[in-house]
Amino acid sequence: MVVDLWFVFRVLVFPGFTFIFFFTMFCDWMERKIEARMQNRVGPAFTGPAGILQPFADIIKLLSKEDIIPSGAKRNVFRLAPILAFSFVVFAFSFLPIDGSAVIPNSSFAGDLIFVMALITIANFFLFLSGWASSNPYGDIGATRVLTQFLGYDIPLTLLALAPAFIAGSLTISVIAANQYLPFAILAPWAFVLFIVTLQAELEKDPFDIPHAESEVIGGLETEFGGGKLAFLRLTRDVQIVFGAALVVELFLGGPYGPVFFGLPELWYFLWFVLKILAVVLITEYVTCLFARLRIDQVLSGNWKVLLPLSVLSLALTVAVATWIYPLVM
Amino acid sequence: MSKLATWARLKSPWVLHFNSGACNGCDIEVIALLTPRYDVERFGIKLEGSPRHADVLLTTGSVTKQCAERLKRIYEQMPEPKFVVAIGACACSGGVFKGNYNVLDGVDKVIPVNVYIPGCPPKPEAIIDGVVKLLNSVKEAKPNGK
Ligand code: SF4
Repeated sequence: MVVDLWFVFRVLVFPGFTFIFFFTMFCDWMERKIEARMQNRVGPAFTGPAGILQPFADIIKLLSKEDIIPSGAKRNVFRLAPILAFSFVVFAFSFLPIDGSAVIPNSSFAGDLIFVMALITIANFFLFLSGWASSNPYGDIGATRVLTQFLGYDIPLTLLALAPAFIAGSLTISVIAANQYLPFAILAPWAFVLFIVTLQAELEKDPFDIPHAESEVIGGLETEFGGGKLAFLRLTRDVQIVFGAALVVELFLGGPYGPVFFGLPELWYFLWFVLKILAVVLITEYVTCLFARLRIDQVLSGNWKVLLPLSVLSLALTVAVATWIYPLVM
Repeated sequence: MSKLATWARLKSPWVLHFNSGACNGCDIEVIALLTPRYDVERFGIKLEGSPRHADVLLTTGSVTKQCAERLKRIYEQMPEPKFVVAIGACACSGGVFKGNYNVLDGVDKVIPVNVYIPGCPPKPEAIIDGVVKLLNSVKEAKPNGK
């Protein structure tokens, strides 16, 4: 019984659902602040200290609004898809070692890196479905853009994720993270940089945010969504961003592991994990602010003509120099 | 619970901007709200593209007859609770276009309006003041026209 309670606590409170939710809200606030500061603005300022409660206010407000289902929409898909997308991302999150072990203890297995990336693909497919089911021209365009962009960029992302897997000699996330006494970002910087660029496209952030380019497609796939369903769509996107950062941390920055000075190692691991994620979010947000939006044809040709060959090259390079890298691992 | 919802509503009013035949003077002032100088994101105000996302409809212009239908449809697409702010002399009463053969002389001929902000065009400060007045009236939670 004690074991069961511990399990429930881990899944629901820490480091499970509640922690992921609050951390996502915090990252969302931080992103908005960074973006505002880079544009010489202040950003949210009066909702709680320094506006830190702004994401909560947004979500609560959306949840308390009227729930409209347009008459043309496919009712069931329209209602379920946002929630399913959200839950798949959170489920994927629970396989990452957050405080030294995954949310569900002993849930890691050989090849869970591929499994987690498949989960993220499914989540994006549900995002596509939600846009498709809304029977709105803008929603349709946004949804097809999500699919075109996502399916394209999934290939280089997986190829690039293979580089750290190759160096660590394992497809298990926890093993990859645990093997980095020297972070793979230093050992294989080419893969690291490309991974960040590709991730930017996967997360639909500038300069690749054509699926919700306001000036072209209004709200993209979110156009017809209001109230609680919109809240779930927004949450999905925010959790995805944090998840992407967490994936970078696990694969290239040594996961939650770092120096333990005193006391419980779990606490230190957790602290390192959070700090590293915040650093990655800072980088991606910086890129977002610096670059203007690309056109859809540029995004697609950039994927197939530039990023895909480059990611194959980077994998080849990793394999070629592996003999020199191996002594530095372990 | 309803206290929490009211708090959230006050802290995150997302706005939709609709031009029902304005001369573009007012629209420039509305966009000026988002610039670094006025930065209404401080109050959690965000400009949204879709009426389904919005809480507050910022209307400018004197509502041409062709626009009336669209204005009404946009208003009906917004989820409750929703509020309407009429910005500029045109949106309040027709302004310089009053009595013209093709305009309806004001937003309130078509949809219920919560706050009128006169001026041709009103300064951004005046618009912020109007929105603050709207938020104060939300504290007593009176969705449109009741
Ligand atoms: S109120 Fe004045 S500035 Fe605004 S739309 Fe009318 S004429 Fe133009």
